[in-house]
Amino acid sequence: MPRFPRSLLLLAAFQLATLLVAGCATTPPASDADAVADFKATNDPLEPTNRVFYAVNNGLDTVLLRPLAVAYKSGVPEVVRTHVHNVLDNLSTPVAVADDILQTKPRRAGDSLMRLLINSTIGVAGIFDVATDWGWPEHSTDFGMTLALWGVPDGPFLFLPVLGPSDPRDAAGFGVDVAMDPLTWVGQGTIVDALGYARLGVSAVDARAAALDDLDKIKAQALDPYATFRSLYRQHRDSQIEDARSDNRATLPVWFPAR
Amino acid sequence: MLTRRTSLTFFLGGLGLAAGVAGLVPTARAQQATDQAADFVDKTGKELVAVVNSTGSAQEKAAAATQIIDRAVDVDGVGRFCLGRFWRAATPEQQRQYLELFHRVLQVSITSKMGDYQGVNFIMGRALPRDSEVVAVSTTVLRPGNPPAKVEWLVSMASASPKVVDVMAEGTSLRLTQRDDYVSYLSRNNNRIQALIDAMRRQSNQAS
Repeated sequence: MPRFPRSLLLLAAFQLATLLVAGCATTPPASDADAVADFKATNDPLEPTNRVFYAVNNGLDTVLLRPLAVAYKSGVPEVVRTHVHNVLDNLSTPVAVADDILQTKPRRAGDSLMRLLINSTIGVAGIFDVATDWGWPEHSTDFGMTLALWGVPDGPFLFLPVLGPSDPRDAAGFGVDVAMDPLTWVGQGTIVDALGYARLGVSAVDARAAALDDLDKIKAQALDPYATFRSLYRQHRDSQIEDARSDNRATLPVWFPAR
Repeated sequence: MLTRRTSLTFFLGGLGLAAGVAGLVPTARAQQATDQAADFVDKTGKELVAVVNSTGSAQEKAAAATQIIDRAVDVDGVGRFCLGRFWRAATPEQQRQYLELFHRVLQVSITSKMGDYQGVNFIMGRALPRDSEVVAVSTTVLRPGNPPAKVEWLVSMASASPKVVDVMAEGTSLRLTQRDDYVSYLSRNNNRIQALIDAMRRQSNQAS
């Protein structure tokens, strides 16, 4: 079994241990009805634990990930960075096709499938994003969104080490996506492992470099960066899910005689 | 011959016609409001882009941009929204101080990014009415060195001149995020509004 899923189990165990130490958030007194309503709406009962993990993540980010992202952005030309991003995108398209099908979104599944086929062949192993120009735009999807479209509520906010802002539904979805990814299981040996970790590392740096300016701005200007990230994560997630839910493009071809 | 039935038919028909015409009028007015909002965003956006891409000192650009923002955005309204449930708990003096600092913090946050936005441009998208007063105008903002971002401008047509009341960047509402930030800061500081005012004062002094 590849080492990757085992590290996820370790993460989960670590989170559980820290939860027992840091504890849960204190509910505001029942006399302050507005505060209680706000507390319930925020839905973050594990806030002390989450803040600990946020501090840990922030430390790792400041010391390790952000300098790498800055070096990547300044050292590597934009064209090469775009190509790297395209290759990474292409590698995660099989999972996207599966998720789109599970979400019962045939047009989105079609987009993902065509992107996989076209970019892998004509786009030379995903380097060139030819499919977008040909009419199959990119969209992001994951098993967390699949669960959301199946009606699973998101649950309390969780700030996971390394993975960042999440919730039980999306964390479970991430695990399922890793298990569904054919690249997790294909091949064995040192080289395959090394390629897997390389993909993980480059994905992290690529994502961090794309969000460099925005995250710097938020950390500099927010009075409570943790709360800002929590709010942004939830809103962005809801918007992604709503985009998927409302994508009901017709599946009949134009020439097919409609009743 | 004008029987009761005929006159009733004419009356009902006339009523129906009037209702139909009345139904059309709000739609026509709504369309006009939507077009006005789209034109407003287009014009204001072009003004801002011209300022950002102009040659001039950072201070001059910042001053010009601040003027445009103050005119185009309902800063007081957004400020009140961002204090959330604590607005009612604040004294009039605290409310005044808070709004003044909110203006300054907004200025600082925009002017600090003036350098980053060199070469920015935007593409107009669709305008759709959100509810009876607010129109959502979609744009795509192109920042050099960043992927294109979908930004939606919520414009309120309630008063005489259109005012921007919210900005949705990739589906996240800026004023909602700001409110969550302030409310969380307040709950961690014993709900003392003075603590928020002091923090905002520190922020606005930092950059100037």
